[in-house]
Amino acid sequence: MNALWTTMSTPLMMRALLEVVLVGALAGATGVHVVLRRQSFFTLALSHATFPGVVLASIAGLSIFVGGLAFGLVFAVAVHLLSRQRAVDETSVIGVLLAGAFAFGALLQSARPGGSRDLAAFLVGSILTVTRHDIAITVAVGVVVLLVVAALHKEFILTAFDSDLGAAMGYGRHLDLVVLILATVTLVVTIPVLGTVLSVALVSVPALTARLWTDHVGTAMVFGACIGAVSGIIGLVISAQWRIAAGGAIALSCSALFLLSWLATGQWRGDGAL
Amino acid sequence: MDLINAFRAPFMQRALVEMLLLSILAGVVGVHVLLRRLAFVTDALTHTVFPGLAIAFALKASLIGGALVSAVFSAVLLTLIVSGRNVDHDAALVAITASFFAVGVIIVSRSHSFTADLNALLFGRILTVNRTAIIETVAIGLVVLLALTLFSKELLFRAFDPDGAAAQGYRVVLLDLLLNVTVALVVVAALQAVGTLLVITLIITPAALARLISSRIPTMMAIACFASALSGWFGLAFSYRASVRHNWRVAAGPAITVTLTLAFVVVAATRWLVGRR
Repeated sequence: MNALWTTMSTPLMMRALLEVVLVGALAGATGVHVVLRRQSFFTLALSHATFPGVVLASIAGLSIFVGGLAFGLVFAVAVHLLSRQRAVDETSVIGVLLAGAFAFGALLQSARPGGSRDLAAFLVGSILTVTRHDIAITVAVGVVVLLVVAALHKEFILTAFDSDLGAAMGYGRHLDLVVLILATVTLVVTIPVLGTVLSVALVSVPALTARLWTDHVGTAMVFGACIGAVSGIIGLVISAQWRIAAGGAIALSCSALFLLSWLATGQWRGDGAL
Repeated sequence: MDLINAFRAPFMQRALVEMLLLSILAGVVGVHVLLRRLAFVTDALTHTVFPGLAIAFALKASLIGGALVSAVFSAVLLTLIVSGRNVDHDAALVAITASFFAVGVIIVSRSHSFTADLNALLFGRILTVNRTAIIETVAIGLVVLLALTLFSKELLFRAFDPDGAAAQGYRVVLLDLLLNVTVALVVVAALQAVGTLLVITLIITPAALARLISSRIPTMMAIACFASALSGWFGLAFSYRASVRHNWRVAAGPAITVTLTLAFVVVAATRWLVGRR
């Protein structure tokens, strides 16, 4: 235990801890809106779509936040436009696009020298290389996302629960796109910590867990933020203690908290709608 | 002509044979996936096979054995979740996908050659495909194609009219399980060639491309297999040419899947232009 305490109190680990708490809280709160609108799989697709952007940016020497954000936003708009026309089965088209984006990223990555080490960092994250700069970006993104959510709180809830009434009141489906964009921005700061595949765990699982405990959206966001932050801390400590990948440990902590909540709230009896 | 010369070396011939086999397999299964709108479940399956592979890898056991156990287990789990009425499928699928993938990542992260191993498991190494792998693909392929042929009528009935199929006394859950297990088997068969993360392209993209051209099921299957085989051939030749002639290393698996995606984009754009006239 003493050894663990010594490891955790180094500046490197303190920075990592601060970053997982910030990212966990942001993803947990934003995730509530993603889960309400059943956009979890879109979010998974989005996180795959940022991959080529991240690789391109790192080849060009730009910030990987910018690269990931650009590709993620293009994909979010494409998904939004495609899901409006009924002729195309949207799940298949999203499947084609997400797989294509991922393959393109892998192709770019294979072409650069010494690629496989960075590739692993993109795929599963590397929390220990977090810098002060990354933390500042996370804080800035978090403030913007929470301001937008607070400003549009009523509209979000109305259109999530009754899209017909929302349309009648003139909100259209643009709010779906706004939530997708918030999810993209959140993912872009989560990906350096958890990687392209596991980031979606931090967005959707703590939010699902929070929804087990409360039906009130505002309360669920607070719960989601706390559960996300706690999962981050538990995952990081476990990863430091047993030397396993931090991204995997954080994602599994989210799942473990979900399972415990599911058992504790009695939803497994089947009477509650998840 | 690099399209032919590239395949002088035996390892390139083996890679091509493996790709042609996978094209047929994934093309046929892909059309069923498309008709049932199972793209999300298929993507989940490609991630959930990963931990079985990682465990087998860590225990130095048979990789294909680990992948098979993991594939069947996750197919059963996903079928049960999607057939459950009270659950938000979308979020539950994502939660399971991420958790399973995380287990795989944790197990592989204990290995000393972490990054190289992760790379091979996720993206495959088609150029190291050997005779055993080809035989395994043939065996899995025969099982999958036999199952799909025997039950094709029931599967199509269930795809187009689930209530009617249930009313006629078909066990819809069992049919769903059958299809999910065959998808999982195709994922396993494609593991060594294109890895867990790129196999989704082989299953979904050719079928979506075929759907743009035809709505007859046998025609769609033929187009899907053909498009995928052609992309496999071009992708391998391109990767060979780039590496040998221009010293630009392009991995074969991503080259094949990017070719397929480009083919889809070209067909979709053509159709859109023709439709506007």
